[in-house]
Amino acid sequence: MAKWRGLALLLLVALAVLVAPWLAPQNPYDLAALDIIDARLPPFSHASNGPLTYWLGSDEQGRDLLSALLYGLRISLLVGVGGSFVAFAVGSMVGLWAGYRGGRSDALLMRLADLQLSFPALLVALVLLALLGPGLSKVVIALALSQWAWFARLARNEARSLAGRDYVTAAHLAGVGEIRILIRHIWPNALPTLLTAWPVQLAAAITLEATLSFLGLGAPVTQPSLGLLIANGFQYLLSGQYWISLFPGLALVLLLATLNAGADRLAKV
Amino acid sequence: MPMKTPRILFALLLGLALHLPVQAADLSIGLAADVSSLDPHYLNVAPNIAIASHFFDTLVTVDADSKLAPGLAESWKAINATTWEFKLRRGIKFSDGSELTTEDVVFSLNRPATLTNSPGPFTPFTKIISGKQAVDAHTLRLTTSQPYGPLPLDLSSIFIVSKKAAENASSEDFNSGKALVGSGPYTLLRFKRGESIEMARNALWWGYRDGRATQWDKVTFRLLPADGPRLAALLAGQVDAIEGAPAADLPRLKADARFHLEQRISWRTLFLQLDQYRDKSPFITDANGKALEKNPLKDARVRLALSKAIHRQALTERTLEGLGVPAANVVSPGILGHVAARKVEAYDPDGARQLLQEAGYADGFSLTLHGPNNRYINDDQILQTVAQFWSRIGVKTKVETMPLSVYFGRLRKADFSIGLLGWGSLAGDFALKNLVATPNAAEGWGAWNWGQYSNPKVDQLLHESLASVDDGKRRKLAEQTATAALGDTALIPLHHQIATWAMKKGLRATPRLDEFTFAWQFRPE
Repeated sequence: MAKWRGLALLLLVALAVLVAPWLAPQNPYDLAALDIIDARLPPFSHASNGPLTYWLGSDEQGRDLLSALLYGLRISLLVGVGGSFVAFAVGSMVGLWAGYRGGRSDALLMRLADLQLSFPALLVALVLLALLGPGLSKVVIALALSQWAWFARLARNEARSLAGRDYVTAAHLAGVGEIRILIRHIWPNALPTLLTAWPVQLAAAITLEATLSFLGLGAPVTQPSLGLLIANGFQYLLSGQYWISLFPGLALVLLLATLNAGADRLAKV
Repeated sequence: MPMKTPRILFALLLGLALHLPVQAADLSIGLAADVSSLDPHYLNVAPNIAIASHFFDTLVTVDADSKLAPGLAESWKAINATTWEFKLRRGIKFSDGSELTTEDVVFSLNRPATLTNSPGPFTPFTKIISGKQAVDAHTLRLTTSQPYGPLPLDLSSIFIVSKKAAENASSEDFNSGKALVGSGPYTLLRFKRGESIEMARNALWWGYRDGRATQWDKVTFRLLPADGPRLAALLAGQVDAIEGAPAADLPRLKADARFHLEQRISWRTLFLQLDQYRDKSPFITDANGKALEKNPLKDARVRLALSKAIHRQALTERTLEGLGVPAANVVSPGILGHVAARKVEAYDPDGARQLLQEAGYADGFSLTLHGPNNRYINDDQILQTVAQFWSRIGVKTKVETMPLSVYFGRLRKADFSIGLLGWGSLAGDFALKNLVATPNAAEGWGAWNWGQYSNPKVDQLLHESLASVDDGKRRKLAEQTATAALGDTALIPLHHQIATWAMKKGLRATPRLDEFTFAWQFRPE
């Protein structure tokens, strides 16, 4: 049982995120629902107008933190999954092709990946967002573009070792086309390794999104994700209004911890 | 006993040496903005002007209450509608010992126009001067191309440099100190870019004769743009005082006996500018995201509705944590052109909805509000709060914020439908000339009126007001202009900012209306 605890926790978080709109006491992204009069109330405060209780307090716009947290987790997961999935798809395709073909296309693609990997992912994402402009879809693109190389490198090594296997040589001798060999013989065999690597990159993508939002480059200010919530509360930390930063911070840590635990479990299956 | 004398002398010297650091009056101040250049004519931004004021003088100065006061010119008068005569003080010395004459003044008035690569030139202050005549070494006559009342005020922005030192000097020569020869109260010791500026008292400064003595032998300005580190530097005793004490930490600073706060309503007024010329404004759609037939912001009823929907009291108390007062004007109280009789638009969401309905927007519409996120006190939060208020009357509002460097460029290109701007001005008519006058690049009118509000009556009143060299008449005309423009909701005033200085116990300061931080504002208690 204990072995499955990590995965169960992950599923629980995923469920909470899925039903967030029904679970959250307030829609934190509907500006008309907020009341500036209730700004920066400590946990367990009651709303000045209406029946709402701010269980985790409210932020500087009078947004219920519990609701903001649930919605924020949603954005973090969505953007993280989206970004790492695109990176996974693009990266593994490029890598498999390079590894299988070898020669010039291998050299070219892998130097490109090396070039990309020599820059920190955050820097690449920052530059891309500066060029693309704000918005969550742009963050997904930036995440994908700063992470594809990682998958490409892994896929290339897999393809390289698989390309020498007897069954691949046999298929080749039997006159099977290159694309078909890639899809039928190499891709299915490389997939398990790539899949186990994916949750690690998912966690990295979520951290990167939180960092970008913390720097004010991710989610729009009226739809704060966890990183932006932490950033918003940052200026109040010294003055004792800890809850605006603390709870989103804890939520982020929890998300990443359960993700790692769940991924660990998956890797052993 | 011949041995004794040197020993006593040594003891005396030692005692003196030990005492010196205690007696020397040093001051260190944490500034909230970076200083990009020490060239006083290079870039017209407040942080550079604040530092330049320590090294250089101007013909006319403004005091802490933004009233005109004699500077290098002991007196001035308008001889006729377009000619002004300035009398220089006698015996004013530059820090290199040479005497300041009208020749240096003429050189300094000409210099801004020669710095053609400046991103924010000082030429708006000098453009109108068409003739400069040095009658003698201490009398200067300036002619303006048209009648222009605010000339003395404009001249308070032009620093007088030494012709000998600054002729052919580059901005880099000022930063290194080579060309930095002024007549001001301090001389440069060191400029560490992005870090600090150290200066020493200028013993030759004329102000000492006038009893304007400053207390400080050595002043260090530390450049600490981020709120956290600036506050931390004060708490740790690394600086004696800071400007722009962070709003969130004021209650705690107030409660701490080790520190003292000085506050005052500053000249900076924040308002929203609206696109009033395009039929299809880039960020306005109907409630469902479809394009609208016409631009609702062209309708004065819609503009008034947006103004009525804003709860300015809540905005200043909650979003600004008390660092603002609700505004009904574009200039702060006490400044020429501030109409005291104007009431702050009352929070009236029902009235706002009613007005929208009358204008044909019963279902509301959608818009995006733009603004900077690193310029004014809690600027990005102000925008979100305004969006909150507007959403309540059915105007679905999104917010997009960006760093100032990006924002100003896009604002002046009219990339937005509604934008937030803060403006500090020492005269209401001057502010309105920039903000609501029909744009006319050749004459420098409406330079910041990107939304192209245009009202012939306002333009007419402005012309008359700016042309009056009689102060009483000008005041009346400036107030009439403001009443006409604001009555039409040419822009939506939000609040006047409150500036805060925090300092260690034992120091006191005179807060300035124009938010500047000068060493001589500070004194021991």
